[in-house]
Parts: sequence; structure tokens; C-alpha cells
Amino acid sequence: MTALITFDHATLGYGRRVVLSDISFDIPAGDFLGLVGPNGAGKTTILRAILGSLVPLRGTVTKAEGLRFGYVPQRDSVDYNFPLKVLDVVMMGRYDRIGLMRRPSRDDRERACAALEHVGIVNLAEQPLRALSGGQKQRALIARALVGEPNVLVLDEPTNGMDLVSTTQILGLVRELHERDNLTVLMVSHALNEVANYVQRIALVVERGFRIGRVGEIMTEETLTQMYGIPVDVDEMHGHRIVVARRGADLGAHAHD
Amino acid sequence: MISTILLFREALYGALVIALACSVLGVYVVLRRIVFVGAAIAQLSSAGIALALFLGGMGVSAGLVGHPTVFALAFGLAGAMFFGLGGGQRAGVPPDATIGVAYAAAAAAGVLLIAKAKGGEAHDIFLQGNILGITRADTLVLLAVSVPVLLVHVLFYKEFLFVSFDREMARTMGYRVTFWNLFLYFTLGLVIAFAMQFAGVILVFNFLVLPAVTGLLLASSMAGIFTVAVLSAVLAAGVGFSLSVPFDLPSGPAIIAASAVLALVAWPARLLQRR
Repeated sequence: MTALITFDHATLGYGRRVVLSDISFDIPAGDFLGLVGPNGAGKTTILRAILGSLVPLRGTVTKAEGLRFGYVPQRDSVDYNFPLKVLDVVMMGRYDRIGLMRRPSRDDRERACAALEHVGIVNLAEQPLRALSGGQKQRALIARALVGEPNVLVLDEPTNGMDLVSTTQILGLVRELHERDNLTVLMVSHALNEVANYVQRIALVVERGFRIGRVGEIMTEETLTQMYGIPVDVDEMHGHRIVVARRGADLGAHAHD
Repeated sequence: MISTILLFREALYGALVIALACSVLGVYVVLRRIVFVGAAIAQLSSAGIALALFLGGMGVSAGLVGHPTVFALAFGLAGAMFFGLGGGQRAGVPPDATIGVAYAAAAAAGVLLIAKAKGGEAHDIFLQGNILGITRADTLVLLAVSVPVLLVHVLFYKEFLFVSFDREMARTMGYRVTFWNLFLYFTLGLVIAFAMQFAGVILVFNFLVLPAVTGLLLASSMAGIFTVAVLSAVLAAGVGFSLSVPFDLPSGPAIIAASAVLALVAWPARLLQRR
């Protein structure tokens, strides 16, 4: 399958500080990859390298020509103080296509409505974004990413701060977009249990460690125990994998945040 | 009363131009939560004027006394660019603290330089502004600055809005976020540096904040906020100015009081609207 993004012995970091050394992997077209790890381990660093805002210190990160990302930022990075309607926010996903000094056309508006329809909230198009629930806001931001007709949908911690119902709905929606539209999806999350049951592959990033593989390869007690450095149990319930740190494990040296 | 107001009509026109330009830019200032950036830039511009007068008095360059605008502009734009680049964030100083330091230092420098400038207190008027002293030529200068700035804001509304609302997404889509951010701050610095010389620091600050707050309270869309902000600024300038002349009140504070009344009326109106 064609690789859309290729990391070739890439070392990533900021200035002299190396965050991840010598990592190599591909993201092929049609992939559904979960980039998982604790906060501060380097997920955002990899994400920045993929999006092009971080140049590798060594090695290369190459992208297929004409690759377009549909980026869904963390919900809290958006300023809800602005009195913008949901439709206006979704149309921002077409701003680069609209060009300088031009206003959105009727076609842009129709495409924005179609994107909202796609994520199931076209009825909220005229509502102020700030009046929406967390799950609805996330759907609006996904619609904004989709309206630019991307090759890769990138979601940064899409379920952060959401309750169980909203989390399940959003992850279900993302999987539906992947399956229905054959969209390549990269989902960044710190919640291994949530991501593992939806994605095809997992890239696990822990402090100075990186491992990528199919969910079945990564979600084993041996791999996770080795990566996290603490005893980890992996169980299955109704076809869902659940990861738990073994009770009594010494977490002191591995506490995050 | 009307004949007295007509006597100062040039000053009224000037105040209306300042109200219009500042209230449009003020929408970004309020929504981006950078209200004190406006005050700090105005204060830096006034420090620039004070330095020009001080140097002129020292005989370094007598011509500078007649052209303090150059110094006001240089200091105002330098401050705007500094804040636009994030201030002292890289050194670990929170942005609001940097703004506070700039405001306090510029205010003190302005007062100290004027105290030692030739002519001393007579120059205070340059720092405090004198709206009644605005002439037709001044209004034309204000128009020459404000019209292009407002045109820029109409043409690049989409870009200014995007980098203000969600800079991460804008960056991902290939927008040069730093450029657009600096461009927005540049227009802010330009308008403040010119407006401050006629209206003074506090009145410029008022026009940057209160009309936008009134807009935010009464309107529920970006177009609505801009409209209400401009209308309330123009109304406050007109009413405040018109009442200050016959009642022998200082025009600047009268305009600010009118702006405050409009914002205070908008507050309960918003609460009623939400019920």
C-alpha cells in the first residue's frame, strides 16, 4: 500500500533536547493509527513532525505529494469567546481553498453543510459554537477538518474530558469515517484503553521509547510491561481489550504529569 | 448650545474617526483578551513623544519638537511588534506581566522626560491628549491612517479571524500565523500611535475596550459585534463631546462616561435576552 508519510531514522526534538531517537515507520493510505502514550512522552512531537511544523534533527520525514491534512485540534485550544456560528467555524476548513481577500461562496457553504450532515449535526449549523456540548463541539471540529477534503484526518486527544457516552460516540464516528470513506486516520491519545479498541495499528510512545505494530502485537502483556516498565495485565471482555497496571506495581518512578 | 458645538466641529470629526478605527480593532483586542496591550502601546507612544520633546529641549534636534509623531510611531510600533511576538514569554515571563512592566515603565519614562524637557508641564498636553485641539489637518491625518487600516481589516478579515480564533488549525493549513499575527498588531500599533496624540492614553484605551464589550453583550455574531461596537463608539463620542462643550466638562472623560453608560445599559439587556 502507498505510504503517505514515512519516518526514516528520524530523530526529533527541540534545539539540543532530543525527545525521540532514530524512529522509522510508515503511515500507508487507508491506515487507522493510534498514536498513544503518556503526556510528555513525545506524541505531540511526532504529530508536529507529521504536520510539518517540526523539522527532524536527523533523518527524514517525507510526505506524499499533495497530501492534505484534516486537523482536529484539542477542543480547549479553540477560543470559544468568539461568537461564531457552527457553520462559520466549519467553513474555516476551506479558507485555504477560498484564497486571500475572497469570501466563502455558496458552494463553500453547501460543502460545510454536507460535512455537518456527515457528522450528524447539520441541525446545529446556525447555533453558536460555544453553546454546544463537548461531544457536539468535537463533531463540529471534525466537520471542519473534513470540509477541506483531506487525505489524512488527524485528531489530537479527541476524547479528552468527555464522559463515557460522548467518548464512545466520537470514537465510533471516527471509525465510521475511516470505514465508510476509507479515510486514513491518525488519532493521538493518552488513553490506551479507549484507542486500542477502535484503531488498526498502535504507535506507542513512552519516555525515550517507541514501538509500532498492529493492535494484537502491541496489546500484549509482554510488550506493554516492557514499554511502560511496570507489570501490566491485558484482559478481554466482550471482545474489548482492557489494560490495567498490576495492583501493587511500583508506580513511583513512572508517574506522569 | 449647537453653535458652541459647531465651533468645535473639527474636533468632533476627529473624535469620530478615532472612535471608528479604535472600535473596529477593539473587537479583536477584547476577543483575544489583550485589552491591556492597547493601553501599553498607547503609553509607549506617549513615552516616544516625551523623548522627542526632551531631546528637542536638549538641542539634540530642535526639529523633533515639531514632529513627535515619528517618535510616537516608532515606540508604538516597536511595542506592538514586541507584544505580537509574544513579549517576554520565551524568557518565562507571563504575557500579562510583560504588558504591565511595559505600561509602568513607559508611563514613568514619559512623566520623567517631560519633567526635564524644555517647557516642562506645558508639554503635558502631548501625553494626556487634547481632543478639543484637533484641527481639520489632524482629522485628515487620522483619516489617512484609519481608512487604509480599516480597508486592510475588511480585505483580510478571514485571515485575522482565523489566526485569532484557532492558530493551531491555521498553522496546519499552511497559514503564516506569525506574519498575520504581527500584521494585526501592526495595524493596532499604527492606529493607537496616531490616535493617542490627539485623544490621550485613557480615551484610546476606552475606544479599544468599551465599545467592543458593548458589542459582545448585545450581539451574537461577529458582524453584529463589529456593528454594535462601531455604533456605540460613534454614539458615545458624539454624545459625550456634545455634552462636554456647553457644560464645560473635559471632553475625553465625558466621552468615556458615555461609553460606560452604553456598556452598563447593555449588561442588563443581555441578561434579559438570555431569559
